[in-house]
Amino acid sequence: MKPALTMNQAMAEAARCLLCHDAPCAAGCPASTAPDVFIRKLRFRNLKGAAKVIKERNVMGGVCAVVCPTCSLCAAGCTAAGLDEPIDIGALQRFIVEHAWEMGFSPLSAGKPNGLKVAIVGSGPAGLSCAAELARAGYQAMVFERLSAPGGMLRHAIPDHRLSPAFLERELEDIRALGVRFRLETAIRTQQDLDSLREQGFGAVFLATGAWRCATLDLPGRPREGVTDALTFLMGAKERPKELRHELAGKDVLVVGGGDTAMDAAVTASLAGARDVFILYRRSFAQMPGSPEEKTLAMDAGVHFMILTQPVGFETRGDRVTGLRVVRTRLGEPDSGGRRRPLPISGTEHSLPADLVVEAIGLSPDTSIREIRSLRTDEAGRIQVTAGQRAAADLPVFAGGDAVRGASVVAKAVCDGKAAAAAIRKELGR
Amino acid sequence: MTRYDRLQTTFCGVKFENPVMLSSSPVSNTGEMVGRAFDAGFGGVVFKTIGVGREKIVHPGPRMAGYDYHSDRLVGLQNVEQISDRPMADNMADLSYLKKNWPEKVVVSSIMGFTKDEWRDLAKASEDVGADMLELNFSCPHMTVEGSGMKVSHAQALVGEFTAEVKKVTGLPVLAKLTPNITDITETARYAAEGGADGLTAINTVMAISGVGLDDYTPRPNVAGKGAMSGYSGPAVKPIGLRCVAQLAQADSLGLPVSGCGGIETWIDAAEYLLLGAGTLQITTGVIHYGYRIVEDILEGLDFFLAERGLHGLDQVVGKALPNLVPTDQFDLSSQGVADYDLDRCVGCGQCHIVCQDAGGQCLTWDDADRRPVMHEERCLGCMICSFVCPVATPPMITYRVVPGKPEILPPPSV
Ligand SMILES: Cc1cc2nc3c(=O)[nH]c(=O)nc-3n(C[C@H](O)[C@H](O)[C@H](O)COP(=O)(O)OP(=O)(O)OC[C@H]3O[C@@H](n4cnc5c(N)ncnc54)[C@H](O)[C@@H]3O)c2cc1C
Ligand SMILES: Cc1cc2nc3c(=O)[nH]c(=O)nc-3n(C[C@H](O)[C@H](O)[C@H](O)COP(=O)(O)O)c2cc1C
Repeated sequence: MKPALTMNQAMAEAARCLLCHDAPCAAGCPASTAPDVFIRKLRFRNLKGAAKVIKERNVMGGVCAVVCPTCSLCAAGCTAAGLDEPIDIGALQRFIVEHAWEMGFSPLSAGKPNGLKVAIVGSGPAGLSCAAELARAGYQAMVFERLSAPGGMLRHAIPDHRLSPAFLERELEDIRALGVRFRLETAIRTQQDLDSLREQGFGAVFLATGAWRCATLDLPGRPREGVTDALTFLMGAKERPKELRHELAGKDVLVVGGGDTAMDAAVTASLAGARDVFILYRRSFAQMPGSPEEKTLAMDAGVHFMILTQPVGFETRGDRVTGLRVVRTRLGEPDSGGRRRPLPISGTEHSLPADLVVEAIGLSPDTSIREIRSLRTDEAGRIQVTAGQRAAADLPVFAGGDAVRGASVVAKAVCDGKAAAAAIRKELGR
Repeated sequence: MTRYDRLQTTFCGVKFENPVMLSSSPVSNTGEMVGRAFDAGFGGVVFKTIGVGREKIVHPGPRMAGYDYHSDRLVGLQNVEQISDRPMADNMADLSYLKKNWPEKVVVSSIMGFTKDEWRDLAKASEDVGADMLELNFSCPHMTVEGSGMKVSHAQALVGEFTAEVKKVTGLPVLAKLTPNITDITETARYAAEGGADGLTAINTVMAISGVGLDDYTPRPNVAGKGAMSGYSGPAVKPIGLRCVAQLAQADSLGLPVSGCGGIETWIDAAEYLLLGAGTLQITTGVIHYGYRIVEDILEGLDFFLAERGLHGLDQVVGKALPNLVPTDQFDLSSQGVADYDLDRCVGCGQCHIVCQDAGGQCLTWDDADRRPVMHEERCLGCMICSFVCPVATPPMITYRVVPGKPEILPPPSV
């Protein structure tokens, strides 16, 4: 992780804040973390008050501070940009949260037990924020997680160099302290599972199962060895970093895709000691959906950017990949999404050798949850909800986060978790 | 080292190659240190205050505390340091060392006696080792020796008596260093003048408490669990220093040259002191913060300031702002104005709107869609607080515009 600000650096950065009358940063935060308020509190040396605002509004305030793409959220409208640079809101938020941890100050507390139980399915930021909100209101919040550790993408996908496991663990500690409980290695998938939850006395269910299905290259002849999807690659890197170093030493890696997941995979490969790491993207650099921060990280890690380059086939020896066939592209007319469409340039087909190909071309919600009656999903597998994150008309079932939005960001998952908690409290009357 | 002809000056009959001196404090504690300050460009020194050594001097530990404002360090400095703790002979040897090796620099001996005899002895000894001038310390606010320092100024007649005592034994020009911790600094100055002082130095430190520890309930600096009201210096006291210097320079029956001191860090601070009547300048906290090197930019900046205006010497600057310094009853109250907004340069923070609502005349409303203030000039008091908080400050986006015949604005009773 980047080094944290010192107290003096934080005070200097806070002093640059213009303390706007109608702070655009506040409007830009999906999780309503109120940067205008916590920066003002920091400026006036009320560090506990600042930490309280952050944590009360966003139980993932530490993680968000570290991973939020601030330049497209809170910092996007920062008035200070009219003078020089936008305020580094993420760095200030992290400083405040870590300072509170160091001081042993926990602003949140569990509510008086009201005897009601709610089941939360999925321990990513959506599930965690819903669970924490409910625990603060006196509910018994039980989080069911199919994997062996809580945290969702934060734990299993976002690379350690951007979000250290210890940092995440510290934030989870705050949530556990509220009495939120976890039942790990327990998937909730079927109607039967859901019925059983109701039988166990859970008055409502929040589905926050994320978007874990990776799109794969739709090309003929995909070999069995040497091609992997980005999530599998990133999870492996976090679970078995030593093995990855061993596997990648001196190897060349091709990452296909231009989003943040592609950047994370490429940087991870590079840091693990791969020889040459390429990002293959069929449009232009400016069109890459990856955030500026992540693109910069990738460039700093020495990743080669192969833009306007599109894979057209695998090269293999036996069952193993040896590279990709690619063509160069140029940009044509805008497609339905408004982005200019990549057109192959004839006569440019050639091979790029590789020992490993990582597919990072999109994530969508996993379809297994669809077995649950009265849930509706769209063609992309996203659970459909009405106001208050309600996912079923006849049952107290709610949903949010990537499972509803498709691949999105942590702050929006937090927002959904909070909204669901509010709706559940209304539904259950406490 | 650059020499600046324009900055040469004569003060109390002594020639200075430039008017910037170290003031008496740890920055002028030893000959070796002052030598380096001279090499860096200082035109003179007021050496750390010397006593005869009859009373043992021990500096409290720690002897200073910094005062920070947000992330700005050392906006002010509090100290409980005493006069020099070194043997008188060593200090005198250092004065002689300095005169020998830097004959063109001005060496002022700052002295403090606890009896008339001591004042005389110190004056005589300083003259014997070649000091160019004397500065009598009547102003240290935190002496541990009863009845000394600032206490002398409070028993005003003693200022005159001790000055006269010194003048009896020496022909050197004598400066009286005054304290701002008194109702009217010109009264102390008058006693000094009657005693025969040739000039005045102002200011010594301002009595203050720079902070209190919230864990130990102890005012700063925390000296083994206790704090004391004591001397405060640095940029925070410059406005008080400027006021005192101007008071002394304007007191026409005094007619004594003034050496200005208090919070000088830049050539701009220096120019302000000169314009209000200081003939030479003294610095401590600026050096404690940045080292001797600050003198380089003070001298160069002053030289540019004079050159830009086609001025040949400091006499064309010293005191030139005094005619514009008047008692408030001499203001032209018929001249009134409003805040003028260059909205093309506005970044839209709305701080002007907030302060106008909460501390001004409520003449600004806020356009939510445009994110810009909207001025209703008929309610503008012209108080200009909006311009103080506006971040678009160089050059200012909000300026004062005189409105001839502006009607009086009196808020109606609240309903
Ligand atoms: C590589 C990568 C990098 C990213 N980087 C950033 C970033 O820098 N900033 C940012 O804001 N966002 C980032 N994101 C996106 C962000 O991680 C997600 O938007 C966010 O985690 C979504 O939260 P969630 O709670 O909806 O789902 P998830 O975090 O995906 O959590 C869902 C959880 O539900 C569990 N689960 C799934 N099905 C079941 C079931 N049937 N029963 C029980 N448990 C189940 C999963 O195991 C998982 O733990 C990144 C995503 C990826 C993949
Ligand atoms: C640590 C310290 C010690 C000082 N000691 C003396 C002293 O011995 N004699 C004296 O006349 N003034 C002493 N002063 C006062 C300074 O000479 C000067 O008048 C005052 O600090 C204001 O100037 P400045 O803002 O540039 O520091 C001392 C100041 C400080 C900070």
